[in-house]
Amino acid sequence: MLLQSGAWEYIAANWVYLGWGLVFTVCLTAVSVVLGFLLGLPAGIIETYGSGYSRRLVERVGVLVRGTPIVIILVAFYFLFPLTIAAFWAAALGLGIRSAAYQSQIFRGALQSVGDGQMEAARSVGMSKLDAIRQVTVPQALRRSIPGFQNEFTIVLKDTSVAYAIGLGELLTRGTNLYLTEQGNTAVLEIFLAISAVYFVLTMATNLSLDALGRRFAIPGGEGR
Amino acid sequence: MSREFSMDRRAYLATVGTTATVALAGCSSGGGSTETVTPGTAPGFQPFEFQDGSELVGFDIDLTTAVFEEMDGYELAEWETFEFGSLIQALTSDRIDFIAAAMTITGDRDETIDFSDPYYSANQSVIVRSDGSFSPSELGDLSGRPVGAQSGTTGEGIIQDELIANGELEESNYTSYDNYVLAVEDLENGNIDAIVIDEPVGDTFANQRPVEVAFIYETGEQYGFGMRTDDDDLTSAVNDGLQTVRDDGTYEDLTAEWFGS
Repeated sequence: MLLQSGAWEYIAANWVYLGWGLVFTVCLTAVSVVLGFLLGLPAGIIETYGSGYSRRLVERVGVLVRGTPIVIILVAFYFLFPLTIAAFWAAALGLGIRSAAYQSQIFRGALQSVGDGQMEAARSVGMSKLDAIRQVTVPQALRRSIPGFQNEFTIVLKDTSVAYAIGLGELLTRGTNLYLTEQGNTAVLEIFLAISAVYFVLTMATNLSLDALGRRFAIPGGEGR
Repeated sequence: MSREFSMDRRAYLATVGTTATVALAGCSSGGGSTETVTPGTAPGFQPFEFQDGSELVGFDIDLTTAVFEEMDGYELAEWETFEFGSLIQALTSDRIDFIAAAMTITGDRDETIDFSDPYYSANQSVIVRSDGSFSPSELGDLSGRPVGAQSGTTGEGIIQDELIANGELEESNYTSYDNYVLAVEDLENGNIDAIVIDEPVGDTFANQRPVEVAFIYETGEQYGFGMRTDDDDLTSAVNDGLQTVRDDGTYEDLTAEWFGS
């Protein structure tokens, strides 16, 4: 770590160190969101079309996960989980499962917004229920879920900072390490500002890309429903 | 660091982080003749342990290294860092095997983990703003004032047990911080009027920041290295190593280096 006179010079001199924290944050976000999608989409489909036992099970697990603070989920995966897993995977699992619980509601809402007539029409031309879900309602619901998904994406991005609790070297942890030094302990405010700016840029970039995606895949003429 | 960033690279980075930790875990449970011990600490506690770039430095770090050099059949793995309050949990859940974090030997902690022989004694100091009008001279003077400490430390214990429990301080006047750097920041900003902190660390802040030691509260507390209660072989090997570095003068050299006396 280089000795610098001013707080901003100190941060600038250590940009590579912070940069690796950024890489960790981006990787953790990507893995968590994908895991959340892989679990959340089927969960949303089951909550919409499933029957009896399977639907109630998914609903109850969802309520439990959504009702548990994320720090507790992470600490449980890291310290109490029977298998010793690395901090990165404990964080990815915790954030991913929590995100799945929220994403399931986004997809449930989107699926329910697709008119019942769509399902009836699909069945009437001889499609099985599974085929109708896969080829008729889910493709429409995915497009409609983009605004909600955008929100969830940015929430996961910012919540990666709780991985600080289990010592994972993401952006906030590395920022904290920077001010826990002899030279950095007078630069606390500046370090927090710099990190906030990085999160802001990441959030903006994510939102703009998903906006573009939403426009690209918009259902033609589907806005006026 | 200007290499192309690709999906492969992301996956690679995630894997490197994982395998490093898994490899360490594998070593410590391996049945070889040399046992690998994973040490853990909580940085931000100058001069005992703090970050220097990605490197951990400080008195505890150097002393641990010196002690383990004297121990046959043991070697140190990379340091793991946690918040101070999570260290004992990390030890009992096998995340780490050894705590070196200026941890005071207390009855409560001794019920959960085993301590080495004491390696340092300290008192608590109360620090205040240098330019402020508040200059307490005993614990009772803190009554009615906003005060702070790092969570899980003996400094917090004194505020809880000696002031709040006796009704001398309102619970709402006490603020608990993740680390002492944030507490000192709040002291400078005027959000709190005093901090209770281990004496050597308080001295370091007084040298670096516009704060000063108002008075010393004698606790005669002693620091010990922490180990799991079923790790008796390690505990006795650490005690032997500690005695050796005391006898051969290494300990004295390290205190001179880090405490300048």
